[in-house]
Amino acid sequence: MDKETLITQLKEIVKPYAKNEEALLNINENTDFVNDLKINSANLVDVVLDVEEQFNIVIDNESMERMLNVKSAIEIIEAKLGAQ
Amino acid sequence: MIGNDIIDLHLACRESNWQRKGYLSKIFTATEQEMICQAPIPSDMVWLLWSCKEAAYKIVNRITNVRIYNPAKFSCTLSGDKEGAACGSISYEARTYSFISHRNDSCIHTVAVSHNIFLDHLDIYTGSSLPVHLFSDKSLIKNQDGIPYLVNCCTYSPVPVSISHHGKYVGWVQKKAIL
Repeated sequence: MDKETLITQLKEIVKPYAKNEEALLNINENTDFVNDLKINSANLVDVVLDVEEQFNIVIDNESMERMLNVKSAIEIIEAKLGAQ
Repeated sequence: MIGNDIIDLHLACRESNWQRKGYLSKIFTATEQEMICQAPIPSDMVWLLWSCKEAAYKIVNRITNVRIYNPAKFSCTLSGDKEGAACGSISYEARTYSFISHRNDSCIHTVAVSHNIFLDHLDIYTGSSLPVHLFSDKSLIKNQDGIPYLVNCCTYSPVPVSISHHGKYVGWVQKKAIL
């Protein structure tokens, strides 16, 4: 799966939780879930759960610890998919 | 060191479905999940524990300057009530932080400190807008990492503050000024 496809899928996942429409529209590898998209920290867990469901992977707490931006999310998804 | 977190309970109820499968186990320890199950009002316990973790995280983040998302690593213990406020501690790695949490009908405001002796020396404000009366002769500034400080306009001495927003509410805590 290429990076652009992953970002498009992530965009759909974060959409219900993102409070900054403009940042969501311009989502890219450097987008931060909290600082840019203004996702509430209590909703970050929803993002993690949605990613798990969408990609059929399990995100352990050690990986979740880094899942604060698009770049890390992509790295984690790719690593988990690669390990399957 | 201080950290605080405020939760607008009406907004939290709309924004988060904590009953969603997998939600609690991702962010709460087994003991905390048990506390939630046993609580008379489980959702109140969810948000009390969540606010404790957030308040302690703000202290840790202030010290380490590293951002992480691992709420289950912050383990909360309730020790009782003090004049209607919930008290207890939060453990993270080798450190323990004390907290006090006030609640009213629609808001939970939790303040964590690096040592419980500091709990009696805080100005805690819970309201719907920034408490400008607390910094009439001071400037509110943020350092390059976004950490807020109050700076006295005459002496330039910085006083750490912790500010939290959620929905209709603003939480503010700072060390009491020494007179």
